[in-house]
Amino acid sequence: MSDDLPPGAAAVLKSAAFKAGAVVCGIADAAAFDAPAGQRPADLLPGARSVVVVGGAQPRVGDWAATSRAVLETMGTTERIQSVGRRLAQLIESEYGYYALFVPPGTVSGDRPFLSLMRAAELAGVGTRSLAGPVLNREHGFLYWSAVITTAPFETDQPEVESACPAEPCREMWARQGTTPCLEVCPASRGGCLEGRLENGRAVRTFYDAPRCHTRVHTHWIGGFQKVLEETLNEPDKDKRKMLLYGDFFTRTLWAVTYSSTNIAQCFECMRVCPAAHPRKELR
Amino acid sequence: MATPKEAATLEATIKAVGLAAGARVVGIASADAFRDRVPEGFRPDEILPGARSVVVAGGDGPTAGAWRCPDHRVMEITGYDLRENVAVHAMCDHIERAHGHHAIQAPSLPVHGHAPPMSMMLAAELAGLGSRSLAAHIILNPEYGLLYYAALITTLPLVPDPPLDRPACLHPGCAAMYKRIGTTPCLRVCPACLSGTVKDGVIETSTYDRERCHSRAQTYGIGSFQKALYEIVNEDDPDRRRTMIYGDFFTKSVEALGFYRDSIAQCFECMRVCPVGRKHRKLR
Repeated sequence: MSDDLPPGAAAVLKSAAFKAGAVVCGIADAAAFDAPAGQRPADLLPGARSVVVVGGAQPRVGDWAATSRAVLETMGTTERIQSVGRRLAQLIESEYGYYALFVPPGTVSGDRPFLSLMRAAELAGVGTRSLAGPVLNREHGFLYWSAVITTAPFETDQPEVESACPAEPCREMWARQGTTPCLEVCPASRGGCLEGRLENGRAVRTFYDAPRCHTRVHTHWIGGFQKVLEETLNEPDKDKRKMLLYGDFFTRTLWAVTYSSTNIAQCFECMRVCPAAHPRKELR
Repeated sequence: MATPKEAATLEATIKAVGLAAGARVVGIASADAFRDRVPEGFRPDEILPGARSVVVAGGDGPTAGAWRCPDHRVMEITGYDLRENVAVHAMCDHIERAHGHHAIQAPSLPVHGHAPPMSMMLAAELAGLGSRSLAAHIILNPEYGLLYYAALITTLPLVPDPPLDRPACLHPGCAAMYKRIGTTPCLRVCPACLSGTVKDGVIETSTYDRERCHSRAQTYGIGSFQKALYEIVNEDDPDRRRTMIYGDFFTKSVEALGFYRDSIAQCFECMRVCPVGRKHRKLR
């Protein structure tokens, strides 16, 4: 760590993150990002030294327990964890005098993010990839992520050695049935998105149908809006056109677009069945 | 009415609430001060009957790290964090609960054309937080430069802050540049939108082409959505229509609607070159 930062600066930063609502906070070395040119921390902030990653705002135990799928379909939110990221960026600049860039949550174009938050979480030691895809934290499971790139040379964390996936029940299920909960609920061979296996107790993902997953996860968002718009314009019958525009599907796409920050996704099935994704807490 | 000593405490307490909630600066204007400066229907006491004071909060713009990012798309997506609105709500709650007076957030989104029900720019000026600049008349705070403003209207009588004793624009460096070469950094970087003259180190005339500035500053948003939709609706060829609907421009426009609060503007060039508040952008 640089002498320019006061002793314990990383700990102070993490403490501020937790106070602002983060569940986990880790710091990655900016040089450790093995990403294509244009997607590395220093491409976004010249002189970048560290990437601060916060995770949290995950669905509550009650959300997972809710019997209406509409709860998670409409209420999943990354907004709270993004506000933590923004606050940390301001804190780094005002308290330590180093440049800090809050990584925008949107995409550069298509599905490409400005910086892979999943990779950032892995390198910051706060999560590991799962067979189902999302990065899981060993203690808290499925989280939403936000990151700040900074020129401040914070003391960095190491990637986790042990992975959250596969969980013990999944190993047992694999030994018994040759599958896991996530592979069973969304198998590529039967119209799903995932394929993989457990090898020496470790998860090995062999196939992931990203476009299919995308169309199932985001059924009511920008893609849904574009789809209905095209169908409406192609529809010669005025009455049918009216039905398309006032119908439930298009109405929901408009809600989804205007509430983009809270309406994250409409499919959580691989995470719903994952023993590592959320604590099986017994609450009253 | 409170005594002067009590009032001083009162104002300081309210400001402290706003600053603790994330505002960078807080100032107070008298509701009466708007009377001679704005047309009927746009004054605080016409929005909240019995209004006596207007409290204005200024929130941070992009971090210094965001200004430094070589990828312009970062600032296009993540302009700022809206903490001034949070600060205003915190102060409204405080005034209603602790002092028993009405307090509402002043409406600032346009209700027709570009006209808001109440001008946040004027509110900031009257509260002594900033002054209009040569750069599209953007209000500059003498210490921090570009800030974003929100305000509350209250029936609580408060002692107003004085307006700035000298305007934040021109900066001495700009005055020297004008004397030397007859222009300023903002006028030079955007002669298409801005024009003005300087006499004896102060602004003599200042105009800007709002329609042109608007179309450049907000390339993705409501305007671009309307423009693209109009062209899509008028396109007879289904294949071309499909390309337009799923193309990057329309997709970005719909995304911008969804993330409109974050995706404020896509041009910051006059502010990028402005020296007011730049000291806060020079970090390590």
